[in-house]
Amino acid sequence: MKSPVRNNLKTSTFLLNCVVNGLGMEREVMSSRSLLEFIREDLGLKGTKEGCGEGECGACLVLVDGKAVNACLMMAVQLQGRELVTIEGIKGKDGGLHPLQKTFMAEGAVQCGFCTPGFIIASEALLRRKPGATLEDIKLELTGNLCRCTGYEKVLSAVKKVASGR
Amino acid sequence: MPSFIVRPENLKELWKLLPSLPAKRKYLAGGTDLVNISNAGLDDSACWLDISALDELRGIRETKNSVIIGAAAKISEIENSPTARRWLPALVASIPHFASPSLRNMATLGGNAANASPCADGVCALVSERASVWLELRGKKRKMPLAGLFLGPKKTALKNDELITAFEMPKWKHKASYQKLGPRSYFGISKAAAAVSAGFKSGAVEKASIALASVGPVPVCAVKTQAFLAGKRLTEKVIAEASEIVKTEVSPITDTRSEADYRREMCGVLVLRALHRLKASQKIR
Repeated sequence: MKSPVRNNLKTSTFLLNCVVNGLGMEREVMSSRSLLEFIREDLGLKGTKEGCGEGECGACLVLVDGKAVNACLMMAVQLQGRELVTIEGIKGKDGGLHPLQKTFMAEGAVQCGFCTPGFIIASEALLRRKPGATLEDIKLELTGNLCRCTGYEKVLSAVKKVASGR
Repeated sequence: MPSFIVRPENLKELWKLLPSLPAKRKYLAGGTDLVNISNAGLDDSACWLDISALDELRGIRETKNSVIIGAAAKISEIENSPTARRWLPALVASIPHFASPSLRNMATLGGNAANASPCADGVCALVSERASVWLELRGKKRKMPLAGLFLGPKKTALKNDELITAFEMPKWKHKASYQKLGPRSYFGISKAAAAVSAGFKSGAVEKASIALASVGPVPVCAVKTQAFLAGKRLTEKVIAEASEIVKTEVSPITDTRSEADYRREMCGVLVLRALHRLKASQKIR
């Protein structure tokens, strides 16, 4: 799926075609918008957080075509023709909470919660690729996510539980 | 942030668009450096040209004698490429040390090179792979050894509007090790790093190719160490001597990340570790 961006050099906008959490949309967007600004300000989806704004903390992770990316360093224009999933689009099969979300809650892997959407997205990206991920796989996958509350142990054990199907 | 971004469909359209754009312009690839630089107020571009989706700059392919990686191929695509895994062991070994998994889904080798940071892991590994770089300006192509692209920290030999389109690496049978010393095991910027590649013949090093990051104004090619290793078996004595020679080839500075003397000493340690790895991997065969 690839369609040309219609650049409008006079108004500095472009017409963005993309899929957001399963819904196709066409929208005029300022071309200077970051993907994070587009998600939070234009779409009003506030689950994706801005932490450092430098790609260091992972609080802004979203899935683009199934891969985790830092929304703070991607431009909205680069979403053209692609599929975005934010934390709002992460759901269980029954439409309720996703197994990762349930397990994070059960394990106490959430304290202030600011980093949690990013951790869920990174973990989901890993488990889609590698459903039976090992603890080492999980640690490596989460190197780009910072948490200042939990000390990581409970996050790791929560993801491991989901990977082990428990 | 520039006031607008244009997104050409292909290179032909890109070259056609240029005259209509403001003079202050830059190419946008993965954005992991450029967007950061811009957010810090250090980019005064009026316009960016987004080249990240150009098919001509994507993909990893083989010819009879070389492997060609598109400048806008994502680092994570390279990590998973069977071609890269077969022919480019230094590059593949460097990838886990390249930023974080999500940044690897965005970042590109073209951006890593254009940014011209002496600490770039991808560039260091590519130099060890004896890479050449393909450049294009208004349809005119040229190729140069990658090491020649770098003139200093953040300075390249790229002309105005010249675009990095691909990297070409010779196919040669070699083993490699990437050793990095950062503030932590992963996702840190190097205090020093070494990419060591070596081809072997009858148990001896036939050809070695060693590049180091963060220990000079540009990626350092350890030519004396390479020459010393050629034709020698990796005995403990040879490894120890090589790790002394490499220290004479680097010119590290003291900055926020580390100190010059420590960095120089660590270059010896990293090359020592890498050569031990190569020696051990030889025994397996």
